[in-house]
Amino acid sequence: MFSYSIVGAQLYVGDMLFVMISFLVLMWLIKIIAWKPITKMMQNRSDKIANDIDSAKESRTKAAQLAEQRQTELQKTREDANGIINAAKQSGQQQGEKIVEDARNEASNLKSSAEKDIEQQRQEALANSRKDVASLSIEIASKIISKELNADDQKGLVDSYIEGLGKHK
Amino acid sequence: MNGGTPSTFEFLGLTFNVGNMISILIACAVVLGLVYALSRHLTMKPGKGQNVLEYAVDFTNGIVNSSIPGSTSKFLGLWGFSLFMFIIIANLQGLFLHIDVSGVAYVKSPTSDPVVTMTLSLMTMTLAQFLGIRKLGYKGHFANYLKPFVFFLPINLFEEFTNFLTLGLRLFGNILSGEMLLGIIVGMSHGGPVIWIGAFVLELLWTGFSVFIGCIQAYVFVTLSSVYISRKIELED
Repeated sequence: MFSYSIVGAQLYVGDMLFVMISFLVLMWLIKIIAWKPITKMMQNRSDKIANDIDSAKESRTKAAQLAEQRQTELQKTREDANGIINAAKQSGQQQGEKIVEDARNEASNLKSSAEKDIEQQRQEALANSRKDVASLSIEIASKIISKELNADDQKGLVDSYIEGLGKHK
Repeated sequence: MNGGTPSTFEFLGLTFNVGNMISILIACAVVLGLVYALSRHLTMKPGKGQNVLEYAVDFTNGIVNSSIPGSTSKFLGLWGFSLFMFIIIANLQGLFLHIDVSGVAYVKSPTSDPVVTMTLSLMTMTLAQFLGIRKLGYKGHFANYLKPFVFFLPINLFEEFTNFLTLGLRLFGNILSGEMLLGIIVGMSHGGPVIWIGAFVLELLWTGFSVFIGCIQAYVFVTLSSVYISRKIELED
């Protein structure tokens, strides 16, 4: 019935229908089996890549911020440490100076007290020797001279004599 | 080979060619099997099969999008992919498997039959008209036939017809000639051992060339179809 000749071959309308229907069915099946999942997957992937790029950019800026922050903190810490060291040095120096000062003071104190002691002892020794010399010389004089010379006069004489010695000195 | 009278039957007043039907069914089955096998275990990080499928999808999407940028490409992507897969498998099918029974081809390339290629071409043209009307409306669509001015109407109408004809016949001619020459070479090989070796080498070369032609023709068919559709969905100046 519907069969004509075209370019040397028979035109079968039934074949045309068959081709159309089978192609449409093929297209529909491909859509169900592969097209939908594969395009969805490709879309998901491109979305994910876009997201990843965005988040990578974000994290890079965050990392840069952190690095900067760390740098400033490091700088600050270094400054603090320097300050602490300087303070410690200074206080150490001060303490050392104070210790030396104290030592010096103590030494001078000791020295002056020692001098005072020495002076006192010298005075005492002087006084003792004066007394001894006086009594000794009185004895000697009384023995040698055995004259009327009382002890008081004699003592006055000796005192003036010894005083004269002290002034000489 | 269209040597003998094809075996046909009539159903509801329509004539069916058994060889074509078998070939088309095989081609469809191969395409479906291939696509099914490649689309298993889809993951975010693609495996081997998924890579092949995605490459094919990207390839046909590239063909379609290069001539039809815009919103219609989503459906047209599926259309281009299906068309490309069907035509390339159909083109190659006859090179691998060709069954003749007493001069009547039962399994061959479906695209070596003009009825099949012209039907595909007709579907493309129908789709182009349909999308044109949907995009521009009846008025805008048919006004395009009167451009650049009214006297171009017969030329434009004739161009539609030649587009339809050349699109189908180009594919048909290329594939038919490939199969026909293969048949002639096979016929030559019955001459003797020396001729057999010569024919073997020749056939090897010609089969390789036919594979190349088959792939190129599938690409050309989809590309031209996209171009024809793109020309229908935009207003001509």
